[in-house]
Amino acid sequence: MLHVQKLSYAYKKIQALTDVSFELRDGEIMSIIGANGAGKSTLMKCIAGVLKTQENAVQLDGRPLARRPHQVVQHGVVLVPEGRWIFPGLSVEENLEIGAYVVGSSKQGKERAFTMFPKLKDRRRQRAGTLSGGEQQMLAIARGLMSDPKIIMLDEPSLGLAPLIVNDIFSIIQQINREGVSVLLVEQNARKALNVADRACVLEQGRIVKQGTGSELASDESIISAYLGGKK
Amino acid sequence: MFVQQLITGLSVGSIYALMAVGYSLIYSLLNFTNFAHSASVLIGAYAGYYYITLVVDNPITAALCSLVLGAILAALIERITYQPLLDKGARRIYLLIAGLGISIIGENLIVVLIDGRFHAYKTALSSMPVSIFGASIGVIDLIILLASAVALLLVQFLIQKTKVGLAIRGAAFDLTTASIMGINVRRLILIVFIIAGSLAGLSGVFLGIKYTAYPTMGNLTNKAFISAVVGGLGSLPGAVVGALILGVLETMISAYVSSAMRNLFAYALLIVILLIRPWGLMGKSMEDKA
Repeated sequence: MLHVQKLSYAYKKIQALTDVSFELRDGEIMSIIGANGAGKSTLMKCIAGVLKTQENAVQLDGRPLARRPHQVVQHGVVLVPEGRWIFPGLSVEENLEIGAYVVGSSKQGKERAFTMFPKLKDRRRQRAGTLSGGEQQMLAIARGLMSDPKIIMLDEPSLGLAPLIVNDIFSIIQQINREGVSVLLVEQNARKALNVADRACVLEQGRIVKQGTGSELASDESIISAYLGGKK
Repeated sequence: MFVQQLITGLSVGSIYALMAVGYSLIYSLLNFTNFAHSASVLIGAYAGYYYITLVVDNPITAALCSLVLGAILAALIERITYQPLLDKGARRIYLLIAGLGISIIGENLIVVLIDGRFHAYKTALSSMPVSIFGASIGVIDLIILLASAVALLLVQFLIQKTKVGLAIRGAAFDLTTASIMGINVRRLILIVFIIAGSLAGLSGVFLGIKYTAYPTMGNLTNKAFISAVVGGLGSLPGAVVGALILGVLETMISAYVSSAMRNLFAYALLIVILLIRPWGLMGKSMEDKA
């Protein structure tokens, strides 16, 4: 459903992405793994319309995806940015309401969010900046789901979180996917990202160097040595 | 005497507040000070003058007329000047300089198209006193105070209770994050300029009624800028509190010390605040104020 074709992007003179092509199919989880600086976040920002790429590089259901960020959300593609970027001065509930900006009412979405993340319900009147890191990440994901997207893009959701909470986040990702949302996941935690992925690609210095199913890549010798700490 | 001065001071302060809230709103979103704000004040003051002189001596409808014109002018300035600069990713200092240019153009257009003289509003209200607690208070001061309070409460309601207000509060934290939540940031910025411009247009009529309309009256927005800094740039309650403090103190100094000390005092207050509490009374951040 989401087709990325020969997407390139340069920051002034530094080429960040070169001819990146892949496809996210309906209902799947696709992981993009790669080292720091490989261009993963840049790729997410290009799809989300935050960074401008060439026209027609991103297509949704055969049509070019809108190129301004708010239109991308209206078309059902939402980004949960790296570093969470929740609104710290607003309450948890207000954060969710902003997430529902493109849909008429936030009522249903809030119910869904509070069922999925009971902790957020307890803290809904609290300022979001006072939440713990894990709770903030859950809020960021919940806020992204408020627009009722077809595709959710998660940029480094496990960054800076304790291992137990990382497990929670990954099971939530799978749960979201079971509810019918396609997931594009960008992660440095390659092992976990490949475990949950239907398919995956490896980004190195702005180019996709390998694509395959999650288990194929997880058993690939070069990936094991480069990204999975060398042991099988 | 004291009650009278206090009411006058609050009325002056409330006019500053109308302008200061506009400064702060725009600052909270874009982190720059919109010096073109004075153009909306000017158009408001002259529109009010001509309305009352040529149409009907009714300060309420005159104020509404100025409010609309102030808003339209602010919207035009945003679309023609700031939006193209923002689209190019220009640094905020360029927006600031563009705003200064617009404010000077506005001043000179008035001189060229109308004249450089003072135009006193010919309204029956300006000299009408009422007696409250034994003090003789100008009706116009009470009207200004009341109308400004209503306008500021409406803005407060808009910011705190509506969907657009929520978007503005979110965007004040980060524009890019707001945009990936589905908020049309360009439109939001335009809306904020329209709100600020309405308040500026309204303040223009009130300044005109109190002090007459004249080409360089846009300089009075400096007082609003001081108010916003004293209260904490970017904070709306701060802007109102700073404006009321400045208005009352200025009036008291004019009344009990010397009116020549008025401006000296205002700018001294700005410098003192910047030295001891640069983030203002209610501001939070210590980022560079441009």
